[in-house]
Amino acid sequence: MPSGCRGKPAANKHRMNTELSSFASRLRGSIESGFSNESFEAMALELFALQFKHNAVFRKICEARGLTPKIIEHWTRIPFMPASAFKEFELTSLPPNERTAVFHSSGTTEQKPSRHFHNAESLAVYEASLLKWFEQNCGLPIADCGLVILTPPPGQARNSSLVHMFEIVRQKFGAPQNVFVGKTSTDGVWTLDFDATLAMFADNPKSAICNPKLVLGTAFSFVHLLDFLAENNLRFQLPENSRVMETGGYKNRSRSMPKSDLHALISERLGVPRENIICEYGMSELSSQAYEVRSQKSEVRSQNEDGAFQFPPWARVQVVSPETGREVADGETGLIRIFDLANVFSVAAVQTEDFGIRRGDGFELVGRAQLAEARGCSLMTA
Amino acid sequence: MNLPNYFLADLPPEATLSPAMIAEACQTLKRNREHYLQNRKTESLIRVLSDVADGWLEAENPFRKLALECGTAQTGFSRETLARGLDNFFKQLTRENFHALLVQEFGDAKRFDSLVATAAEQKQNRAAIVSAPELQIHICAGSIPNPALTSIVFGLLTRSAQFVKCASGASFLPRLFAHSVYEADGKLGACLEIAEWRGGNAALESALFAEADCVTATGSDETLDKIRQQLALKTKFLGYGHRVSFGFVAGEVLYGSRAKKIVAAAAGDVVAWNQLGCLSPHVIYIQLGGEILPEHFAQLLAEELEKREQTEPRGELPPEHAAAIASRRGIYEVRAAHSPESTRHWCSKDSTAWTVVYEADPRFQLSCLNRFIYVKGVADLKTALESADSVRGKISTVGIAAPEEKINEIASQLARWGATRVCPLGQMQNPPLTWRHDGRPVLGDLVTWTDLEM
Repeated sequence: MPSGCRGKPAANKHRMNTELSSFASRLRGSIESGFSNESFEAMALELFALQFKHNAVFRKICEARGLTPKIIEHWTRIPFMPASAFKEFELTSLPPNERTAVFHSSGTTEQKPSRHFHNAESLAVYEASLLKWFEQNCGLPIADCGLVILTPPPGQARNSSLVHMFEIVRQKFGAPQNVFVGKTSTDGVWTLDFDATLAMFADNPKSAICNPKLVLGTAFSFVHLLDFLAENNLRFQLPENSRVMETGGYKNRSRSMPKSDLHALISERLGVPRENIICEYGMSELSSQAYEVRSQKSEVRSQNEDGAFQFPPWARVQVVSPETGREVADGETGLIRIFDLANVFSVAAVQTEDFGIRRGDGFELVGRAQLAEARGCSLMTA
Repeated sequence: MNLPNYFLADLPPEATLSPAMIAEACQTLKRNREHYLQNRKTESLIRVLSDVADGWLEAENPFRKLALECGTAQTGFSRETLARGLDNFFKQLTRENFHALLVQEFGDAKRFDSLVATAAEQKQNRAAIVSAPELQIHICAGSIPNPALTSIVFGLLTRSAQFVKCASGASFLPRLFAHSVYEADGKLGACLEIAEWRGGNAALESALFAEADCVTATGSDETLDKIRQQLALKTKFLGYGHRVSFGFVAGEVLYGSRAKKIVAAAAGDVVAWNQLGCLSPHVIYIQLGGEILPEHFAQLLAEELEKREQTEPRGELPPEHAAAIASRRGIYEVRAAHSPESTRHWCSKDSTAWTVVYEADPRFQLSCLNRFIYVKGVADLKTALESADSVRGKISTVGIAAPEEKINEIASQLARWGATRVCPLGQMQNPPLTWRHDGRPVLGDLVTWTDLEM
């Protein structure tokens, strides 16, 4: 998407951007200076009113449900949009000539991807959101560690929100571009440059203090790496305090394995203990991410037990019953629905197709749901 | 449940099946068949089967009671859905229907008993007898019981010993039926085995397939292909792949009280077995030009489904199936809000119990089932068939509502196009015993003929 202005924006569009821009700038300031939980409700209702006003697709669904800003009094009542609607509709209040970036959902090539449009302002909110929560969850002072990123660099994955996120992290680290050790093959598949990866792992100065590593990647990139290490009988002992951050989902890009197995293998092959493996949950339709926070009592819990994912205070999650659409009780399973204030220029309330177990104000991820086909002799599974 | 421990499926859940157990069960089945079944007269088999079926139709029958009392927990179907489905199935198992089936397949109901000749054969001085495989193995997928029950009935009628392998969690009704046969006639019951495990267990399946003369299977093309690859060349294989069905309503019949009946019939097809069978409609095509427009038909159908929900509830769904419905509803809701002239939708309140989606786009859509139905308008049958081109060759049943004088013409058109069954709307899930599954012979594929030329 070319940047810059094509044609003269209409007067009302100018006004729209002023209102949303002002919200975006306030939110960014608030995120950077320490978001106050108390401000969430008012900001959510304010953003709903703005999105209702400026996002035609969203407004139509609100009107169809009879839910307008005049009658909504609580953020949980704000109409949500199914994540799949990002595939069919332009769920944005950015006019085409203001869109400078678009993030696509990953998936099979036959499916239309979700499209989440951004401009400089919306990216600025996205970046403020991701950095703040990343820093709080990566468990390391950023300045002190060596970064290794198992995805292609941004130049080879322009529509990936994950790669954009990693790029922002890289810039924050002040790390060189070559920390991206993945590449995009000619058919669009993400692969790893194993030589470059191994070189990164081995790059430990023999000084008394070894800088810990922070290795970022998707679950499938770790599987590719672990398979390679196993085939070549290689093991690493990354420096003490090193961290691994994996973001879930295999999307048929590698064999999939249970999270506990993946983490055990990462520990075995990279020498990073389980407690230093961090899980991230994010999607192109959102502008904030959740991280798995292990229970305070993690030492007394079984190793396989998962912790709960937590979004930052400017994004809240509900786990809703697919049957009734109502929030489930704590400990019950349902579909994950997120209200992300950082989705300023798209829609804040997004209904995912992911299952989670409600854990307080967070959730335990059950699976990126491959929605089951009904079981019958019409469409069957054995 | 108080059933004797007789079949492998009766073992407690913690019991583990071994290949040796499977092989031994097959050996026992073959021995029992030799002693008890091979030489049974057809009439005697028909008597037992029709008596068992009559029993299942009686309210106080212990197997029926058990099926209805425990069935919801075991199968997910509501008591009412189970009752209607089982009634419709067992009503078909009458002496007359068995005779009609044997005559249809073999020209003479005594073809298994001795060398017999039809009038045409007599003229040619010929006679013939048929025999069936020693051991049939049925690999049953899915949660609706009809395919497994039908296989058992046909297997007994043809005098084969049978091993019925159900999908995990789906053995309840076949097991009850087998027990009812065993109770009626222990010797016949001794020629049946019912087991369940999750498909793809190579050790158990290779032990099973090694014993088989004939394997019947329902499942995806991929599943069928995998099974076929494991079979010896001499083993007969009858695979029934994925099929889908749809309805077609001619414009001429869409008026007044007749339209109301048609709506009720369509709702019956959506509700039966919660739409999970391959004979259940995914789409109902409504021909334009009638008194009732397609979107109006959709609305009436929604009202009817709501009524049915009160008398024959769908029952609870596992969360992933409810999520599939919720997810589809989500997207149709957005589309409907965006362009109400081309998409509308009606949903049960506070549940996923039923959903009707009207789309102006006539392209065939696969439903996510569990009472989720598409209604689409078309100018004529030709347009409907063009719109369903993506599933051509995969269609089982077309349920129709049309003026009587046009039914032959419509059926011929559908036959040329590749549909294998045309029936009245409302009867899609109630095929007769003589129904040729996927257009193939009912029993003809199972048997071997011996011709005598005089």
